[in-house]
Amino acid sequence: MLIALVSGLAAGALYAAAALVYNVMFSTSKVLSVTTGHTSMLGGVFGAWFLSTWNLPILVALLGSVLIGAVFGFVTDLVAIRRVLSRTDEHLWLLSTLALATMVQQAVALWWGTEPKPFPRLIPQSFSAGVVDQKYWLPVVVALLMALGLDVFYRRTLYGKLFVAMSEDIFAARARGIPTDRIRALSYVLSGAMGGLAGFAAGQLTFAYFALGLTLTLNGFIALAVGGLGSNVGALVGGAALGILSSIATYYVGGEYQQTISVGLLMLVLLLKPEGLFGSRNVRPV
Amino acid sequence: MHMKRAVPVVVGAALITLPWWARDMYQLHLAQLIGAYWVLIAGLNLVVGFSGQLSVGHVGLLAIGAYAFAIITGTQGLHPAVGVACAGGIGALCGLLLGLPSLRLPGFYFAMATLAFALIVSEIILAQGALTGGGVGLPVPGFPAPFDTPQGTYWLILIVGGLITWLTWNVARFMWGRGLIAIRDSVVTAEAVGIPVFRAKLTVFVFSGLTAGVAGALFGSIQSYVTPDTFIFELGLFFFVCIVIGGRGSIVGPFIGTAVLTALPELVAPLAKLGNFFYGLLLLVVVLVVPEGIGRLIEVLLERIRPRKIGSTAIEPDLERLAAAIRRGRA
Repeated sequence: MLIALVSGLAAGALYAAAALVYNVMFSTSKVLSVTTGHTSMLGGVFGAWFLSTWNLPILVALLGSVLIGAVFGFVTDLVAIRRVLSRTDEHLWLLSTLALATMVQQAVALWWGTEPKPFPRLIPQSFSAGVVDQKYWLPVVVALLMALGLDVFYRRTLYGKLFVAMSEDIFAARARGIPTDRIRALSYVLSGAMGGLAGFAAGQLTFAYFALGLTLTLNGFIALAVGGLGSNVGALVGGAALGILSSIATYYVGGEYQQTISVGLLMLVLLLKPEGLFGSRNVRPV
Repeated sequence: MHMKRAVPVVVGAALITLPWWARDMYQLHLAQLIGAYWVLIAGLNLVVGFSGQLSVGHVGLLAIGAYAFAIITGTQGLHPAVGVACAGGIGALCGLLLGLPSLRLPGFYFAMATLAFALIVSEIILAQGALTGGGVGLPVPGFPAPFDTPQGTYWLILIVGGLITWLTWNVARFMWGRGLIAIRDSVVTAEAVGIPVFRAKLTVFVFSGLTAGVAGALFGSIQSYVTPDTFIFELGLFFFVCIVIGGRGSIVGPFIGTAVLTALPELVAPLAKLGNFFYGLLLLVVVLVVPEGIGRLIEVLLERIRPRKIGSTAIEPDLERLAAAIRRGRA
């Protein structure tokens, strides 16, 4: 039971990290990108590749994964977001990010193979460590650090304040002389780096697996919608709730209905509190 | 005007006589597959192309239709006609159950809900092994007497496909189609002019569930064996790509998209290896370069080759009629 709770919390931390990635992208562009989960997938796959094929030191592999994620975030903005946003059709970004996500997933499948491959140990530890195994606490620590870092970033730094300004009102921000295109690209780079870091940290939990991206996109979105769009605390709470709920359900019912239960949670929250637990109800001007 | 009449007649004749001029059984099989996909895509086109609801999870409804047909006709041994009707009915019911909560959600939420639906369906199929055969799958029976040969099955699919195309064409041309396009382009405007937005969306979504169920029955019967692996999420993405590439708000465009995208990877071997990467690339290029779809691109090109004659008629007052009207007014 305890191990189910802990592994649920670890999976939930990964979902929370994906929700944070959504939030960073959403703050500057109001886009929910389908590529969110795929940044973490890239982080995990490239981390495993750097560590086991190239035998690089852990710190270098970590930096490499983060860098890959950041580059992918930049490419996402460049290819799928920039041209589409300038044309202001509200559905097109969904199509373009979906297309990009599919391409990345298939490219990784062709190159890396469709079998999940193991992710090497990061810290020397016995495999019988049980509840305190690094694969459980690493994602939790990373998700918490990312949420804390984002909070400091938004409150204390100039760029963080620019992000907030753009999320409040993009036209006003542009009128005040903020280079909105560049800030948006920066937010995608940051979100990609965060996704890569989360994928690297959770690599031992998820394995280096090409299809992780789509599940993570969906589950991260559920965590985000449960917690409330735009709220980082909500992302953490939503992720933890989703992870623990589905692992408890797996413990009692069996693993067959995991997805059904997590979508059930989403539907329940959307019915009772459509803006999410910590979200702000936005009024849409007509 | 002659061209406009001739093209559908020629295409129709070519489709009916296809079993005689197809070079081998494989091409006939491909034509059957295109037909079965089209039955689903024709319905989905009303949802995606006309009312602008981005459903990526119709593969779940296809799976439900295929399994319903396999269980009713194969396991229970009922007549295939009953099987197809039940597959359509169950598809429509599941469409209703999926549409009721999810059609109230905005764009991305809706797409995620349909994606989750597709995943849930394959999860349930795997879990309910006693009914669906689990990961092993189920054999799907074929159709009875006049339709039991490959040619016969093809004609059956052609009849069903033609019927559904006709239905969607009727929906698209008249009041409903206009209403759906209005919902796609601006929900607020559509509401303001009195279109029952949610009901219209739900109605076409249930209809698309019905066509997906029927398509599932046809598809399963063509494949003659279904497993959960047949209905991967990428297949749902493929349906979606066919419509977006063909052009939103058109019927001919998505049909051409379906035919080309189904046949192309099968006929050009290197593309088959790339598979879904190719579909993703195609979708990205279309969204970035011609977001209205290739159908619109062809229209623009045709206009350039043969510009429409814009009649320049001088407006002259018809003095005699005016005088007559004035005289009548005085009398």
